[in-house]
Amino acid sequence: MNKELEALITLQDIDLMIEESNEVEKLGFSITGCSELEKAREEIASRIKKPLLFRYERLRAKLKRAIVPVKNDICLGCFLRQPTSIGAKGREESELFTCENCGRMLYWLD
Amino acid sequence: MQNIELVNLFNENLFIADLKATSKEEVLGELLDLFIKEKIIRNKQIVMEMLHQRETLGSTGIGKGVAIPHGRTTAAIDVVIAFGKTDNGIDFNAIDGKPVNLFFMIIAPPNDDENKYLPALGSLVTILKNDKNRKKLQQITTYSELISILSGEE
Repeated sequence: MNKELEALITLQDIDLMIEESNEVEKLGFSITGCSELEKAREEIASRIKKPLLFRYERLRAKLKRAIVPVKNDICLGCFLRQPTSIGAKGREESELFTCENCGRMLYWLD
Repeated sequence: MQNIELVNLFNENLFIADLKATSKEEVLGELLDLFIKEKIIRNKQIVMEMLHQRETLGSTGIGKGVAIPHGRTTAAIDVVIAFGKTDNGIDFNAIDGKPVNLFFMIIAPPNDDENKYLPALGSLVTILKNDKNRKKLQQITTYSELISILSGEE
């Protein structure tokens, strides 16, 4: 798998976790490692080239989710069908693709 | 969330009444393998990384023999719950320091327009806080028994 794609997905997964940590704590879970998780986030962010990281942050600020799953060639961010030609490459996870409609980065689930 | 809605997030093929795992890492791996086998997720490594990061935030072992490893991941499309049980308690760094033998793994997608994930997590915590429910769950051997308890029929 493309290392930057992998790092971006982990980064977003961590961001989602941080975003909902207060609500999760209210449900009765012990949340004690916020600073450790922030450190892990920094380390993962350092693996991503700055322009790509900037793009990730900008997309997150604008659209909440910077990377979205693709299922049956449909971007689950804006529900636009992606060209079949990029689907095969997307599934190989070797390149990073962007939805031409919404601009989000894409991760193929199937 | 109604019990019936919670039950709908379970899947018969994501059920293990006798986990082989003997460690926290193995439990996560064994339950995650079910998601792979069912083609619910494709990349185990990504989801395992998310679960590890979640444990960094705080153990999902909520005490009294129960753990609910959970999280959203870009590598999932829907909220799905797997169940695993072992007769031998496993050290899961639970908040009470006690071994865990009931495991519910919740995997959720990054987008959750129907807002199922947190309500499901909350409902599960409520059910598992009940001593009777936990005792019943420790005895089950079949998926239908699990569903009966979670739906409040038993």
